[in-house]
Amino acid sequence: MPAEEMGKASRKLRLAFAISSVVFVAVLAISPLKDYFAPWRQYKRAYARFANTRPDTKRLLADYHSGIDQIWIPELKVVDRCTTCHQGITQPSLMDASVPQPFRAHPSIPHHALDWGCVVCHRGQGLATEVREAHETTLGWEQPLLPTHFIQASCGVCHQSDIPETPQLNRGRQLLVDLNCFRCHRMNVSERIYVPPPDLSNIGHKASREWIYKWLKEPRTILDSDGNVVTNGYANEPRMPQFRLNDAELRDLSAFLSTRQNEPLGSHQIDPRIVAAWQKKPDVADQGETRFRQMFCTTCHAVAVTRAGQTQLIGGNIGPELTKIGSKVNEDWLIAWLRNPQSYFGYAQMPRYQWSDEDLYKVSRYIMTRLTDSDLLSDVPKMDPPTPAEIQAGKQLFVGKGCANCHGIQGIKAPKEFGPDLSAVGSKTVSELMFGDAKIPHTLVDYLRSKIENPTSVNTTAAMPQYHLKKEDVSALITALLSMTRRPDAPAFAKLVVRATPSKFQPAGQFGELYDRYKCYLCHQFNGYGGTLAPDLSFEGSRAQKAWVVSFLKNPQTLRPASTFRMPQFNFTDAEASTITDYLEMVMQSPQVNPNPDNSSKTSPELVALGKQLYEVKYQCQSCHTIGATGGYVGPNLSNLGSWMRPAWIAAWLKNPQALVPGTIEPRREFTDQEIQALSAFLMTLKQTPTSAKAGSAAGGSR
Amino acid sequence: MTSWENTIERLRRTPVWQSLFRRGPARTNRTRSVAVFGNIFLHLLPVKVRDASLRVRATYYLGSITFFLFVILTVTGVLLMLYYHPAVPEAYQDMKDLRFVVSSGVFLRNLHRLAAQAMVVFVFWHMFHVFYRGGYKPPRQFNWVVGVGLLLLTLFLSYTGYLLPWDQLAFWAITVGTNIISYVPILGQPMRFLLLGGHGIGENALLRFYVLHIVILPLFAIILIAVHFWRVQKDGGITLREEHGRKEKD
Repeated sequence: MPAEEMGKASRKLRLAFAISSVVFVAVLAISPLKDYFAPWRQYKRAYARFANTRPDTKRLLADYHSGIDQIWIPELKVVDRCTTCHQGITQPSLMDASVPQPFRAHPSIPHHALDWGCVVCHRGQGLATEVREAHETTLGWEQPLLPTHFIQASCGVCHQSDIPETPQLNRGRQLLVDLNCFRCHRMNVSERIYVPPPDLSNIGHKASREWIYKWLKEPRTILDSDGNVVTNGYANEPRMPQFRLNDAELRDLSAFLSTRQNEPLGSHQIDPRIVAAWQKKPDVADQGETRFRQMFCTTCHAVAVTRAGQTQLIGGNIGPELTKIGSKVNEDWLIAWLRNPQSYFGYAQMPRYQWSDEDLYKVSRYIMTRLTDSDLLSDVPKMDPPTPAEIQAGKQLFVGKGCANCHGIQGIKAPKEFGPDLSAVGSKTVSELMFGDAKIPHTLVDYLRSKIENPTSVNTTAAMPQYHLKKEDVSALITALLSMTRRPDAPAFAKLVVRATPSKFQPAGQFGELYDRYKCYLCHQFNGYGGTLAPDLSFEGSRAQKAWVVSFLKNPQTLRPASTFRMPQFNFTDAEASTITDYLEMVMQSPQVNPNPDNSSKTSPELVALGKQLYEVKYQCQSCHTIGATGGYVGPNLSNLGSWMRPAWIAAWLKNPQALVPGTIEPRREFTDQEIQALSAFLMTLKQTPTSAKAGSAAGGSR
Repeated sequence: MTSWENTIERLRRTPVWQSLFRRGPARTNRTRSVAVFGNIFLHLLPVKVRDASLRVRATYYLGSITFFLFVILTVTGVLLMLYYHPAVPEAYQDMKDLRFVVSSGVFLRNLHRLAAQAMVVFVFWHMFHVFYRGGYKPPRQFNWVVGVGLLLLTLFLSYTGYLLPWDQLAFWAITVGTNIISYVPILGQPMRFLLLGGHGIGENALLRFYVLHIVILPLFAIILIAVHFWRVQKDGGITLREEHGRKEKD
């Protein structure tokens, strides 16, 4: 190159330089342009346009600006930018379903979105400002939005005891206990009434090998095979799931179990004179049935009843369903069991009744002859007596299938960590799950649903047995599982967790013995512990008069005409009735009811007349309550209230019913003190004569 | 003399100019050489280059492009530092902020990432080119070694930068990498411990990788780049084909 040309750019070079400069500027412009046309900006503009079509434009746009909105709560480590697009989330006027998304307001809940952020409940990616990134599983974020159907799971992350606002979650938590999920899987379940599966150490006394074979094969066929008894309801569904066992395995397991006779059966012989007297009578089973009904066995146990061609189960779900129990149990075992369930296995939940030999014989005859199904075992193959090889193989199966996780049995220990740990299953990400060949969307919810509905769908070698559940129960279980998460790591969250309050009520002494024997807690609540079938007895000492409690215990009758369940007839002795009554009176008191009211001066004929007038005319109490033969069926029958309740309770109740029994449907009326006095005085005059009380009891006794 | 040249001439007489450049205009070969020698940055480069060495096919500008990428990485890296905390879990949140709220944050990150990957490619390409031209032979063997050092620094810079987003990709890449280190006989475990500041990949490892990435490794890289440039002219300029009996085509 000649020296004079050095440093001089050619035309061609200049052109190349010019073009490359323009390209360079264009490339640099892409990023700001993309920023300007970002989707979130378009949503913000759309919101401004939308707000202008509403009557309260000014309020809707009060906080509007063109940048990114975020909820920032440093102590909870919340940085949620969801409100950038969900602009109307806190606007009460946008709660209506006609408001287009994403502008609709949040439904009203006890927590305010701005105090908590969005992701803490809804999951998803709060930092994101792009639609897909915020809601879905992406390469940059694994936790997708929680479907609204399961949103109660998020309540359960902090609220570890049940709250009334989350029925689906509560149901799921109950099922995790009832279905014994927690016995194979590690998880945190709050303390609740739980009936453990039976101990099988002595099952050989109770059931035959054929019955065990049938039960292991199809636990549900204990119901009618013709399909008439529809018990998809959880209530009467066997809690035993179905294991996938072949014929040889069924033979081995039934051989092993039918030879479990660890301890001799309790040797109670019914008085031979009674047997001799009743054996020949044709109506012994009928009489047994009457006694069965009078004792209200159906409060806990369901029995299939056919009426007008319709078969349905009638009775409670606390104990097992009994329609075909006569084809299952051995009569000697039945008598021993009825006399003393705890002698068969210690933790049996059935109360120990006071039986006379006569009743025992009649009821057991009824059960063995009427509650049967001759076809039940017809499809069970003929089996020879168990061989030692079968028994040995059965024992190995019992261990291998994890039966000992639920059933106690002498000589076999429950394996530890049998199923996967589920204590943080709600935080599992999709990449931690094995979907196998299952043709389902790859999300945690779909995985859980598939696994619960058919355990082998995602893992063909799964050890988990098959449960048969209603759709809504599967949803409830998924909700409860999703609520078990790793805690958010902010220390502030640890303080927010509302811990489950251990509330076991276990009295000592004589009452404690009776409480355990008659299992009062299975139906009644005591200071927050116990079942919900029967009235809460936490304040019974403040409520009921002593003499009334004694007479009720001796002869329980229904207090609520609309209720189908009654208290069983336990045949308490006088001493037992008085122990229970004394305990209730001394201990189960409400701090809000004066235990020693001076009520003698507070009644007069004028007051009673005024009270009657208030009851009948001003407040029309008879629309819910019955006195004598007239009145409504919503509230308890008040015919005998004067002998039943304490005046101080009535006064406190009228003042504020919800303070004594939270959630009661009795309306809170603004009575004046004088009205309360008058009403109490009137109500205390309501007393039934013993004869009419007896008539009422007889009427209540027939179903 | 145009008014433009007049203005420049007047500027040259100001004390500030004279203190900065300490000499008059470079109008002769000698003054040009003096200007290059007298400047701390320019003296790394040769005073004169041969015409042939400026042609595209002589070098394909591979070394220059690599250096230019290094400059881009430095500039974008400094800008990224404004948004980045080397802490858990802030590091990953900062990635989210860069993506979702920082204006042109995605552009900045991608520029840094792509330039880093391009730099590795160009370093290798540059090395292959020099190798096939015989640039590793005496008298340039020392500068070849410096170049190998720069290759290693580039790779380490790439590797240490990989952990900083604190995502799964980062975590497992560093897990694998540091586990490989631990198989070095005797020194393996101590080296891994030193690199991670502990036995696992946690906040300490993140901080160490951050300091390595933004201070220690770039500092060494700058020093070696300076030596590398300076040494090119000391060793007699770039390798041309004609040295080996072939003429560079016009």
